[in-house]
Amino acid sequence: MNRAQKIAWLFVITISLAVVGSLAAFAILYIKVGMPKALASLALIGIAGFGGFGPIVFPKDKGKITCDERDTLINRRAAIAGFGASYLVAGLACMLPFFILGPQATVAVWWLPNIFGAAGLTLFFVHSVVILVQYGRGGEKS
Amino acid sequence: MANKIKNNIRQFRFENNQMTQAELADKAKVTRQTIIAIEAGQYSPSLELAIKIAKAFGKKVDDVFEYEE
Repeated sequence: MNRAQKIAWLFVITISLAVVGSLAAFAILYIKVGMPKALASLALIGIAGFGGFGPIVFPKDKGKITCDERDTLINRRAAIAGFGASYLVAGLACMLPFFILGPQATVAVWWLPNIFGAAGLTLFFVHSVVILVQYGRGGEKS
Repeated sequence: MANKIKNNIRQFRFENNQMTQAELADKAKVTRQTIIAIEAGQYSPSLELAIKIAKAFGKKVDDVFEYEE
């Protein structure tokens, strides 16, 4: 497993933990205290921030070739998939309220940074998953 | 979709004093994972890398790689 895969795994684990944890906490708080206090559970999304420590936790191997044309290609494809997915999330977040609530409804402004955050999480998650899938196809047999 | 670029890397490694994938990777300035992927036909290298690999064996690109119609 190379450095990019390790960092991708860290992102997948931290983002999954953050999303599952915050959804579980939201469900519990919603039942116990109701809205809007249940929204405090969204703070658990911050767990995803630990994924940013990947480049520090997994430093570059000195004196070895760590990145070549295939790695660059895999990263580029993963980035395209990630940005595509985040664009889709942002698009859906804009269009769903329109279709569900109707054109005359209003949405609180504080939803906008949340949409931005969701798109960002989607970007990193999909980017990491696509990296893992592409390297997984290559195999490690020698 | 099946890869149409076939290669004889494994055979040439064997003929070159059983050169390891790591040694070939060092000569071609790529990672061992990339050599594994190329050898398995899961990745088609750029022309530049194909030339480097062929040079590592002292062969022409045509000898190492072939395109199947």
